[in-house]
Amino acid sequence: MIESIQLRIMQGDPIVHDVHHATLPPLFRGMPELHPEKCPDGCKECVNICPTGALQLHPLRIDLGLCVFCPACERSCPEKAIHFTREYHISCSSRNQLIVGGTQSSITPEIASKKIRDYFGKSLKLRQISAGGCNGCELEINATSNVNFDMGRFGIEFVASPRHADGVVITGPLTKTMAQATELCFDAVPAPKVIILVGTCAISGGIFKGSPEIDRTFLGSHSIDLYIPGCPPHPLTFLTGILDWLDRKV
Amino acid sequence: MTSLSVQNQQPFPIDDIPILSVKEFENSVREELLAQARMIGLFGLETTESATTVVAVLGHSSTSAIHLLGTTFTPANNRYRSFADVDPQTHYFECELAENHQIIPEGHPWLRPVRKQTIILANQPYSMYKMEGEEIHEVAVGPIHAGVIEPGHFRFQCHGELVYHLEIILGYQHRGIEKLLLNASPSQQSIICESITGDTVIGHSMAYALAVEALSNTSVSLRTQVFRSLAEELERIAMHLAGLGGIANDVGYAIGSASYGRLRTLAINSTALLCGSRFGRGFIVPGGLQFDPTDEAIEALKVNLHVVQHDVLVINEVMFGSTSVLGRLDHTGTVEKEWAQSIGMVGPAARASGLDVDTRSQFPYGAYKYIHLPLITLSSCDVFARARMRSLEIDESLRFIFDQLENLPSGSVQSEMNAIRANSGVVSLIEGWRGEIAHCAFTDSKGIWKRYRIKDPSFHNWYGLSLALRSEAISDFPLCNKSFDLSYSGHDL
Ligand code: SF4
Ligand code: SF4
Repeated sequence: MIESIQLRIMQGDPIVHDVHHATLPPLFRGMPELHPEKCPDGCKECVNICPTGALQLHPLRIDLGLCVFCPACERSCPEKAIHFTREYHISCSSRNQLIVGGTQSSITPEIASKKIRDYFGKSLKLRQISAGGCNGCELEINATSNVNFDMGRFGIEFVASPRHADGVVITGPLTKTMAQATELCFDAVPAPKVIILVGTCAISGGIFKGSPEIDRTFLGSHSIDLYIPGCPPHPLTFLTGILDWLDRKV
Repeated sequence: MTSLSVQNQQPFPIDDIPILSVKEFENSVREELLAQARMIGLFGLETTESATTVVAVLGHSSTSAIHLLGTTFTPANNRYRSFADVDPQTHYFECELAENHQIIPEGHPWLRPVRKQTIILANQPYSMYKMEGEEIHEVAVGPIHAGVIEPGHFRFQCHGELVYHLEIILGYQHRGIEKLLLNASPSQQSIICESITGDTVIGHSMAYALAVEALSNTSVSLRTQVFRSLAEELERIAMHLAGLGGIANDVGYAIGSASYGRLRTLAINSTALLCGSRFGRGFIVPGGLQFDPTDEAIEALKVNLHVVQHDVLVINEVMFGSTSVLGRLDHTGTVEKEWAQSIGMVGPAARASGLDVDTRSQFPYGAYKYIHLPLITLSSCDVFARARMRSLEIDESLRFIFDQLENLPSGSVQSEMNAIRANSGVVSLIEGWRGEIAHCAFTDSKGIWKRYRIKDPSFHNWYGLSLALRSEAISDFPLCNKSFDLSYSGHDL
């Protein structure tokens, strides 16, 4: 008993209290800052090296739904026109919002509908489905519930049964072998329900886009409520994304 | 013995692999196995309409030698005598070969699917093992599990609480990685390898980088090598802390789980200091490192790890001294040494069953060629041993890192890459935190991959989990599962 109390004291106060103003390590790669005016005519260095085809030119733009934050483009650019900042507020509610350019400094999702906020604003229970996720996204989602990020304090939690859930969180590029299970699981969630895509793989297929072992029909037939980009997304991107979307002031 | 003998990461011309008749191949592989070899690979190297060349890769830990030998099968002549009824460690490799190339091992005790759930093997559709009898019942779990975890299907044959048999069906995570690698650009290949399993980014990206460097005759600086090992040990520490947290959670020991969880955050944040990613993404690339850690980053890393080192000792002492915790761990999920050996288990799970297996000391690579880590083994073979092993490895890895940080070599962390040799192959072994990772790479006449074969340690150890559950209470499944902590995506590829 005494030992447990000692352990508790040793824990100190590890929690990130202000989830909107945390400082991530200097090399952390979040929101990119782009300077299209620096691009020399005909230069294609970044486009050529990008592993997922996330870059567009004229003007220079990055699709964060495809980007794996590797950051080969930043390193290959002779003019230093691309730089990934530490800004982790990059979740959004429409696919187009993920295509960023210029010096926009962060992304804020549009606020969910009144109905969704009325139903889930104070309590949101989620069922996670890993459909080819490499365990990177899964580990970061698990981390949202640990003593550092403690998502439960906002009433957001993961539950075991889809029957108890208000929506699903999908990771991975959606493998063929998980197509049926994904559909069944989503069907088992009572309406109204939301879909949140976490990670590059889930949002676009990422590096696995075009693999014959992938089947993304499920996504084509449902509307997506929230996109959380990253490979994997930082727990704070997940947390702040959901809070902003539900218009929760913390 | 008729085989090509190479060292870890030593390139060789593909033509040097002896291609034997099926009979000679059977005999030679059997001789190798009798000489205590461990199977690292058995796969199709080249397939044409009329023939498939199959290569066997066998590791001899006592001599650090890796032996390769091959044979050719045709559609008309697609059978060989199975090794698995005598040496079960080859069982799963033979299943995989049958699944991918319809090459049938005769006398195989139990041909079952590896990644494809609906499959015809030896002209028979596979149906899961089923027991019959009064009061026997079946429990099916998955592919989607209760927690935030990857998918897989578990089928238990039970009598009351008691599990007689657990069958594990995987393949839900199959993304076609080996095929994707063949047509990928170098920058794509790095990302694919980092995503084989996202909890072993350093392990797999290192195996890949070392394979490419060996085949292109590129040497990297000592600084690069030391930082790679440092990152590998950090990954080991972080995942072992995560595992111990999971075990504490599964036995209902909340303060232990919370404490390990906090320390794991410190460990992965330390990795982020080196490269920006908490999982080491973007750190290791062929030719060196993408980021050269700054002095500030190293100082911050030291501060973090000192906390980990101090606190983990206290937590271990409390957790492993608690009778109620030990009551759950002791004698649970035992895999006897003989069993572990016969199925070719690897990594901390194997060492917890008393086996001397550790790639770092037996097939040394990178910085481990100069710096030796002790090989620890335990003998109780149960969940306790697997948990304790992980805590002991954390101590050793921390010691290793602090030693290295004392005198870090200077120098560039990026070397110029040379062209990749044509018609060559290499076997690249790494001790990931789960055990032996093997990447076997082969190039064509233009120096482009014609076969890239990946083996995650989970490939061997999933079978260990099945054995651990025999005669165990089904309620202890989560605990046993966590004590193995295996990868679904690494297995499924
Ligand atoms: S950081 Fe993103 S946009 Fe840049 S090369 Fe990598 S994947 Fe492409
Ligand atoms: S987005 Fe990245 S971390 Fe997430 S599942 Fe895909 S590869 Fe893994």
